[in-house]
Amino acid sequence: MSSLLIQRPLPHGGRLVERVIRDKEAAKKMIKGCPSYDIKPTLHYETGVPVRNVYREIMSICYGFFSPVEGSMKQAEVERILKERRLLNDWIFPYPLVFDISKEDYKKLGVGAGDRLVLNLKGKPFAILDIEEVWEIDNPEELAHKTFGTPEDNPEVVKERFNKKHPGWVIYRSLQPIVLAGKYTIINEPKFRPPFDRFWYPPRKAREEFDKRGWRTVICHQTRNVPHVGHEFLMKNAAYTGDVEPCHGILVNAIIGVKRRGDYPDEAIVEGHEAVNKGGYIKPERHLVSMCLWDMRYGNPLESLLHGIIRQNMGCTHHMFGRDHAAVGEYYDKWATQILWTKGIPSFGFPAPPTDVPYGLQIRPQNMREFSYCPTCKEMAYSETCGHKREKLSGSFLRGMVAEGVQPPSIIMRPEVYKVIVKWWKHFGYPFCNEKYVINKEKELEVDLEDL
Amino acid sequence: MAYFMVVLLDDKRMEKIKGTELEDKIQYMFGGELRCLNVEVSEELKDKILQEFDTARIDSRGAITDVPVAFMRELFNQVAEKKSLGPEVIEGVLAKVNEIKEMAAKESEYLPPPNIEV
Repeated sequence: MSSLLIQRPLPHGGRLVERVIRDKEAAKKMIKGCPSYDIKPTLHYETGVPVRNVYREIMSICYGFFSPVEGSMKQAEVERILKERRLLNDWIFPYPLVFDISKEDYKKLGVGAGDRLVLNLKGKPFAILDIEEVWEIDNPEELAHKTFGTPEDNPEVVKERFNKKHPGWVIYRSLQPIVLAGKYTIINEPKFRPPFDRFWYPPRKAREEFDKRGWRTVICHQTRNVPHVGHEFLMKNAAYTGDVEPCHGILVNAIIGVKRRGDYPDEAIVEGHEAVNKGGYIKPERHLVSMCLWDMRYGNPLESLLHGIIRQNMGCTHHMFGRDHAAVGEYYDKWATQILWTKGIPSFGFPAPPTDVPYGLQIRPQNMREFSYCPTCKEMAYSETCGHKREKLSGSFLRGMVAEGVQPPSIIMRPEVYKVIVKWWKHFGYPFCNEKYVINKEKELEVDLEDL
Repeated sequence: MAYFMVVLLDDKRMEKIKGTELEDKIQYMFGGELRCLNVEVSEELKDKILQEFDTARIDSRGAITDVPVAFMRELFNQVAEKKSLGPEVIEGVLAKVNEIKEMAAKESEYLPPPNIEV
């Protein structure tokens, strides 16, 4: 075999975390006599609107998307992440992940280190948390600032002090004060409702699917948007990287969770991407749409690190990164993610790119610029190769067009994708996420559970 | 950076600006598949828009987007009424900010979907 061929990387941390009990009788025995707690959404500290549901983190941890993380973090681990972006076992990781409850609930529960707590979701037993430590968040605002960085502490990439307009900052600012730290185990596997069920490829299943399809090299396209033709061209062209031939597969991995007002509904995002392969714009044999549960933190370079971890765990060899990756507003440099993956960001603990530091990542970044329409070439053209003045595509511009009821021309959005948007628009009475969508979604979630 | 807002023109809107000087300012985008007018926005007016409408954002081209549909409809009304793309257009829209916000409050609940088969 040629030495130039790239092999699929091991999961981050060396092994895939899988903490799911499928034997119901064993699960029942595990929870006998244990206290239980109904999982509650994290509510915005000012408005009371849901901004996060920890169930999504539990799912992503227990199915291995966040390997090697196994549970809610201890205080020392959170402190190390905020300082060096490393777990206590030295592997790099960008964000604190905690199971937080109110002081009142903590008092009522009366649990402590060594106890097993049953976590209920939608009234049914869902997971257990084996508590190893209980600690308190003294100052959630400080935690939020340290999580995302400040212009003073991270001058390489942070341009503006974070505030309540940033949805990720709000998540950390809204955390409850008591953290129950310890490992999670799912004891009652939730069932995804359509359309999400057909996009559920947790890391082991994704790796098996890649084997089935004969995909040795796979490039991931991160998304929180329905695709326009610019995205489609990014995917097609980024896939020309690889080793001795272009990547065998393009994995679209959609982040499913609480969204900003004005984003497209999750249902439209996954089906919109699927429409690209159903319409033949990218062959289904080369294109797979999948998802990961996570309430986006919009942390640009930090989020890209999490994306790298998730997709390496899923078995991808490459990851596309563009301008303003997973960003909102102008808090970070618009190329912060590409700076991280090409040079590193010392103030975040990366004197070198995350692929070049000990206990780092193996997934290869494919940093991309933009595709837009060139009226001279009369085609979609790449910003770094086309020498003409081009017409930029932007998701915001398209959203405006959609909201006004104008069907985008097929050169910027495929008609099949537009039909998906309208399908869910008719369903929800609205083309984008609004307050009603977010509140209903956080009540219903993406899953249902059976009795244990 | 120069800021602007894009007014899309469908056939109905084309009728309303027919015979005016605005016709000469129509821009064709994406191989002629999309017609539009660009309204210039000053730094000061851009800040006012962002302040009044928290969904508003500026895209990579410098275009102000994601304002309520009611804003965009009024923007076209002002363009057609004033037969201009100058600052008085945005000033005219912002003069009706309370009315727009009232309509926007309703449109954040419901927008009629296009009548196409899906």
